[in-house]
Amino acid sequence: MPKRSRFTQALAATIGLATLPFAVAVAQQAPALPPGFSALDLSNPAASNQSTDLKPIPVSPLVTPVEKLPIDRIKLPAGFKAEVWSSGHPGGRTMVMGDRGTMFMGTRGIGRVYAVTNVDGKREAKVLLSGLTQPNGLVFRDGALYVLAIHRVLRFDAIEDHLDNPGTPVDLTDKFGLPPEVHHNWKYAAFGPDGKLYIQVGANCNICEINPGERGHIRRYNLDGSGMEIVARGVRNTVGFDWHPVTGELWFNDNGRDWAGNEGPSDELNRVPKDMIGANFGFPYCHANGIPDRDIRRPNPCAGVVLPAALTGPHAAGLGLLFYTGSMFPKSYANVAFIARHGSWNREARFGYDVIVARPQANGSAKLEPFLTGFLDTGKNEFYARPAYLLQMKDGSLLLSDEHSGATYRITYEPPLKTAMAK
Amino acid sequence: MRSGNRPVCSVSGGLRHLNGVVRAAVLALCVLVPLEGGAQSSPRPALAERLAVCQACHGADGNSRIAGIPSLAGQPAFFLMNQLFLMREGVRRVEAMGDLIKNFRDEELDAVARHYAALPSRASDEAVDPALAERGAALANAKRCGSCHLPNLAGQEQMPRVARQRIDYLVHAMKAFRDNQRSGADTAMSAVVYGMSDADLTALAHHAATK
Repeated sequence: MPKRSRFTQALAATIGLATLPFAVAVAQQAPALPPGFSALDLSNPAASNQSTDLKPIPVSPLVTPVEKLPIDRIKLPAGFKAEVWSSGHPGGRTMVMGDRGTMFMGTRGIGRVYAVTNVDGKREAKVLLSGLTQPNGLVFRDGALYVLAIHRVLRFDAIEDHLDNPGTPVDLTDKFGLPPEVHHNWKYAAFGPDGKLYIQVGANCNICEINPGERGHIRRYNLDGSGMEIVARGVRNTVGFDWHPVTGELWFNDNGRDWAGNEGPSDELNRVPKDMIGANFGFPYCHANGIPDRDIRRPNPCAGVVLPAALTGPHAAGLGLLFYTGSMFPKSYANVAFIARHGSWNREARFGYDVIVARPQANGSAKLEPFLTGFLDTGKNEFYARPAYLLQMKDGSLLLSDEHSGATYRITYEPPLKTAMAK
Repeated sequence: MRSGNRPVCSVSGGLRHLNGVVRAAVLALCVLVPLEGGAQSSPRPALAERLAVCQACHGADGNSRIAGIPSLAGQPAFFLMNQLFLMREGVRRVEAMGDLIKNFRDEELDAVARHYAALPSRASDEAVDPALAERGAALANAKRCGSCHLPNLAGQEQMPRVARQRIDYLVHAMKAFRDNQRSGADTAMSAVVYGMSDADLTALAHHAATK
């Protein structure tokens, strides 16, 4: 397979360039603080009535051969098709597109950032950066790639001119002042319609009291790290958000707590209403559609809490959220949200592992419907992909990343009638 | 293992100095070399040559007899491969390891991992303190170590076997998780040992050594 061997060569060539400078940089900046897992964490797994065998799902750092990708399992509504767009980037999750067509991918545990390029008509994945701690947050602006790895914020200027040697980044870490603890603190970042950079800081526990000024919220900054404001509070762990193309309102996924049972509390799709910047979304006292937490109690736990636009299911782990504005899909998909559900680990019967559509309603809620399915075999309780993030391409097709196999799938639409008439 | 395999055996003269167990394990690997990696354009060091370097510290049978050096025998193959990968990439920083494996390809890391996963694990030669082990057992129960590492602490997938691991190494590893000095693993481990005292971590290590 030429694609794989080219990837391996690129890998071997890039590791020498990219790993070593970063090895030094990260070692020097390893925070001396304790990891910050709250001593107040009140999880009581024994009371959950769940199997004690539930455990985090591993991500293989090895390349999955193209022929092993689960592309044939994908089921979509009529007229939609899926194809493998890229592979050979183990652990690839977040996706951003450069001005000149380089697709950058962030990862968690394996610490890499990939660059996926088109070379002589062939798509190639190469390791752009490595040795970082959970570089899940990526944004691209004015030719520069911003990489957010827990608390580190690094800017690689004119990155598409330097894909073979990204060089030393401008280090903006001190300017942003993000907390260094790792748990629930891998970053998602995106530019809002106001031009500000939005970044989340998760709660550093499963369930605990948090200082709402420090964590458990979404913030926004000016691009140089100044002007920080909190946009949404009481947010447990969102790693995907987007803005409604018409209203300009921020919508975000939030993953519900674990070890409180197989059925929930449900994950949430939330909307930050206009004129409610800084609103409270309930964590840790109030979950889902107004369920008080059983471990962390206070009177009137849901008072003043903005309840979700929709419940996205128990332990479903919605990651990527994308409002569709392309011209390829049918008009009924204009301005609807697609949500990639990574799939459950803290649930005996697996749930999620798909892409759903959330249709915003006039009253501010959203109606959910299935979109991409087939990765979960409920009979065997097995999964074949972990959908992570979505990216809208210029032509209106959608890319979906699969962290489990290190691949992306491109979803296209062709009207059935048009096909018939062309004949 | 999700990548394809093909029968490959590149070991030739390098086996003679190995003992029987290792030689058998190396030969067994001849059918397990993963397919990925593409054309073998330049000659690569044979697995046996690479293992000889590993054995100097980790023991000829993968059971370490050197203070602070972990035993690798009987670890889950995925765990070993994943950790080798993280050390090669500089995510997990172990000074003695980085240079040794920096030029390994993915499939070469995987071959080393499979080799050690297939070897039987043996108890450490360190003295186990029964009182500490008993206290460690209670702590392990409270911390639900068996949820990820399995009730017999044999480990699975990305989680290591801690049963029969060296006590001094386990204490070192758990301190690293507690003190935010170990990157790459699931953050759940850091959460579990958060705030624990050195004495408690030592008790856990004595308990694991007895399993």
